[in-house]
Amino acid sequence: MQFFSFSADYVQSLCAGDRQAQEHFAAYFTELLQLKLRSRLQSPQAIEDVCQETLARVFSALRKEGGVRQPERLGAFVNQVCNHVLFDHYHDTGAVESLDVEGRPEPVAEGADALDIAAARQIQFKVHAILVNLAPRDRLLLKAVFLDERDRDEVCREFGVDRDYLRVLLHRAKLEFKTEYIKRFGERIRLGERV
Amino acid sequence: MMNHSEALHQMAAERYLLDELTPDAREAFEEHVFDCQECALDLRAGAAFVEVAKTQLPGLSGAAVPSLSRPHKAKREWWLFWLRPAFAAPAFASLLLVLGYQNLVTYPRLRAAATQPRLIPWTQLRGDMRGAPLVIAADHKHGVALPIDLPSQPSEGAYASYSIELHDPQGKLAFGAVVPAPGQSDSDSQRLGLVIPGAILRNGVYTIAVSGVAPNGERTVIDQYAFELRLND
Repeated sequence: MQFFSFSADYVQSLCAGDRQAQEHFAAYFTELLQLKLRSRLQSPQAIEDVCQETLARVFSALRKEGGVRQPERLGAFVNQVCNHVLFDHYHDTGAVESLDVEGRPEPVAEGADALDIAAARQIQFKVHAILVNLAPRDRLLLKAVFLDERDRDEVCREFGVDRDYLRVLLHRAKLEFKTEYIKRFGERIRLGERV
Repeated sequence: MMNHSEALHQMAAERYLLDELTPDAREAFEEHVFDCQECALDLRAGAAFVEVAKTQLPGLSGAAVPSLSRPHKAKREWWLFWLRPAFAAPAFASLLLVLGYQNLVTYPRLRAAATQPRLIPWTQLRGDMRGAPLVIAADHKHGVALPIDLPSQPSEGAYASYSIELHDPQGKLAFGAVVPAPGQSDSDSQRLGLVIPGAILRNGVYTIAVSGVAPNGERTVIDQYAFELRLND
């Protein structure tokens, strides 16, 4: 897969309010932001709020004169803004998320068309094939770690493996899966390229 | 900030997904991921795999694995083919024939050979390894009987035992035995008979080595014999 870096043109398009560029930008960073936030926030609603607030602040900064001095560091800028939003969120909620937002249903992804559904189905087949080819013990190991969310050290002791084994197991599965993932979603996640 | 090679070397994406990074390392990796498309893709793929796997793992128990609606030909272990009737029926019939022949013919012959007296040609060996080896004619039915002379000890207690080793034409040890050494006061020497069954005989030069084993385990070769075996059948 060929990678592209953020270019001044891309940032210029964002600053100018180019809708296609903004949609691509939002799609690219929303997933990364969610990955980052889910280890820090419990409620899906809080994750969504912080994510949306981050993107809004970034767009706002981009529209200001001299908002982003280094276009190639746009990703680092987004991360930095997210840290500030997160800090504000902790400050506003007293470092504890309010219970009223917890348990709200997860926002449903909009705009899922037949191609999305087909791609998701293929992804499921691929994951199934990878899991089926694993040794039964490795499947149980992954289940204990990711699904049951058991203590890693305890799981490793029980299965007679070390942390390296767990990492390598995940690494190999991820590597095999990555090809299918790129095939299905590669076009959407190329950074800095107009779609 | 973590650089790309550090992220790869440390398997940072895997550690991130396994929630193994310290808060500082996590910040450093995130800072890198937001800037590095390759690591971002790696992390996205890993996260997507984990998310989908979490929905499928409950249905995939330790051993039995159901298929995911897509039909596929059941894979059979190759070694189970002999259980198929087309192969198993004639195979078991052949096995019964072999068992019958062994019970009715082979075992009675072997039993008779083991329990009945028989005559075997006795061939005198030469304890001289120089020149052409002694030629001994034999057949698979009778085998070969060879006399082994154990010499008397050069001094009292010099050897605790004697070791006898037979090597086949390929140089492999075909037989080995240790016998107690006769005392110095015993008659001049002790003669043993080495019987080699016909089933293990093959054409070629055999060697026999007789060694004296001292009380400390040290071995001294006393006699060596060589003979060329020629099978008649």
